[in-house]
Amino acid sequence: MVLLGQMWHSSLSYVEATYSFWSLCGVSPGARRRASDLRCRQRPNIRASPLHPADLQSHSVALAGYPTPISVMVGLSLGEQNFIKGGIAQDLRTDGRKRLAYRPIFVETGVIPQASGSARVKLGATDVIASVKAELGKPNPSHPNKGKVSIYVDCSPTAEPTFEGRGGDELSTELSSALQRCLLGGKSGAGAGIDLSSLSIVEGKVCWDLYIDGLVVSSDGNVLDALGAAIKAALSNTVIPKVQVAANASSDEQPEVDVSDEEFLQFDTSAVPVIITLTKVGKHYIVDATTEEESQMSSAVSVSINRQGRICGLTKRGGAGLDPSIILDMISVAKHVSEQLINKLDSEIAAAEACDEETEMDS
Amino acid sequence: MEYVNPEGLRLDGRRPMEMRQLRAEIGVVSKADGSAVFEMGNTKVIAAVYGPREGQNRSQQSNDQALVNYLLQSQPACLNFVLSKRPSFWVMSLHGCQVRCEYSMANFSTGDRMRKPKGDRRSTEISLVIRQTMEACILTHLMPRSQIDIFVQVLQADGGTRSACINAATLALADAGIPMCDLVTSCSAGYLNGTPLLDLNYVEDSAGGPDVTVGILPKLDKVTLLQMDSKLQLDTFENVMQLAIEGCKAVASYIREILLENTKQLESRRGVK
Repeated sequence: MVLLGQMWHSSLSYVEATYSFWSLCGVSPGARRRASDLRCRQRPNIRASPLHPADLQSHSVALAGYPTPISVMVGLSLGEQNFIKGGIAQDLRTDGRKRLAYRPIFVETGVIPQASGSARVKLGATDVIASVKAELGKPNPSHPNKGKVSIYVDCSPTAEPTFEGRGGDELSTELSSALQRCLLGGKSGAGAGIDLSSLSIVEGKVCWDLYIDGLVVSSDGNVLDALGAAIKAALSNTVIPKVQVAANASSDEQPEVDVSDEEFLQFDTSAVPVIITLTKVGKHYIVDATTEEESQMSSAVSVSINRQGRICGLTKRGGAGLDPSIILDMISVAKHVSEQLINKLDSEIAAAEACDEETEMDS
Repeated sequence: MEYVNPEGLRLDGRRPMEMRQLRAEIGVVSKADGSAVFEMGNTKVIAAVYGPREGQNRSQQSNDQALVNYLLQSQPACLNFVLSKRPSFWVMSLHGCQVRCEYSMANFSTGDRMRKPKGDRRSTEISLVIRQTMEACILTHLMPRSQIDIFVQVLQADGGTRSACINAATLALADAGIPMCDLVTSCSAGYLNGTPLLDLNYVEDSAGGPDVTVGILPKLDKVTLLQMDSKLQLDTFENVMQLAIEGCKAVASYIREILLENTKQLESRRGVK
């Protein structure tokens, strides 16, 4: 009787009432998902309003409006929302984790044989693939002794049906620009996590162009962290061929370069930062939010921190305002979490590479 | 260039009638209703199926419903005309579910990095081909007013992506529990250096010889997809097509094995056995 009273109180439509009744009878998860799809079509529940793109600023502390189609996809009832918020307040989340615990991370390297380096990272149900391709190119005239790196993320429609066609473009550009901000430093190339001068071959004429491509195969929250981890793993898996420059080239001509098939240079990734996203739900912060938890967030701060504990980039998302002291607190929490994450990630990458070498030796 | 050397071996060491190694896995994308990974040699494809779920285009729904109701009551003879002239989504889905498909290739899937992963003509054409093939075997009349989305993502492309996509889509549809009249399997075959070759890879495909892609319903023994480019003598074509059909049957037996294994795992997880 109390349950019925609650249903009428929140003025559910007929479809929702039917769903709640049948969920008591134990309907299969597939039907439940479809029923919840039906429900969210009836009453869209927009939680966080996206900011106008004009608010985007180009220096490293940027207020970025993250488009949140997430809350429209996940139709949560009032009871479920209260359960998520209450759990977070009591340090016991829906899947049993503590607030600052990550889901199990699985790293697999060398998944794309034709790329210079690649990795696949699974963070719970979030699955992303990153690949690095090195091609010869001409350096930027304003930075003749530096190579070029470009990061591009593609959201596959297998992750979310709304990413079909151009639907995933907004999220892709947000993720690409967030990753560029975190990993590539400022416009002059200073402070980049990747050492760009190591990519130069002949100053002003020939350099390596690194194309880093990310693909989101399945998304269940915290895609940015997973992409950061995947890019770090892919870079540590990258081998760049050694290049011999013909010695008799004149200063005007394009020098001849001979790309060797035998010798390779391993990329140095000790300076590449990891990205940690802290999501604020109510009064507490959680790390590694799932899609349902993200739909309840008021704001989120993504910090990229390197092994030395220095901050390499910062992004705040979400419409709610934050007190500056809270942001500083979140940054210090992120630093604390980052040590464990970096160690875990490095051990996973080393294990994956060892596994990769074993399979190579077997075959 | 010699694609079949005098000993009868191809460039990658296979015999002319030998398929590449097949590998499949079900249930890769946990959020989707059904998903699968299918590998044919170096070609790797992920398919995810979302559905059956409520149809998306609701803007015309109320107008169409009123129109159809009126016509049903007053002039049922006009209904056929309306349905043929104004095939809006909702009206079409009255009789059965709508199947939509999107094919996209990852940036890193080909040897040279691709600039535009979606929206180019080849992707649109392959999306259409996959949609028509799968629509033929799904029992759409059982699920009116709903929609099934099939998304196929190519991770590695080494020839035969069309076939791998159709095989992956079949597995994903089976994983989603969508009623079908039969599995759909597909394989390609070509003709180089005077020999019919089964399951071409990228190098053999770009050699300029004919490439025949066949999709069949194995149990019903019917051909649902047949595409060919370049030119071929008629009797040679029969041989090549027959070879491709044999390849499809081999894929079908592999898919059936995978599905059986998956079912056994599900049974043991649910404690049935």
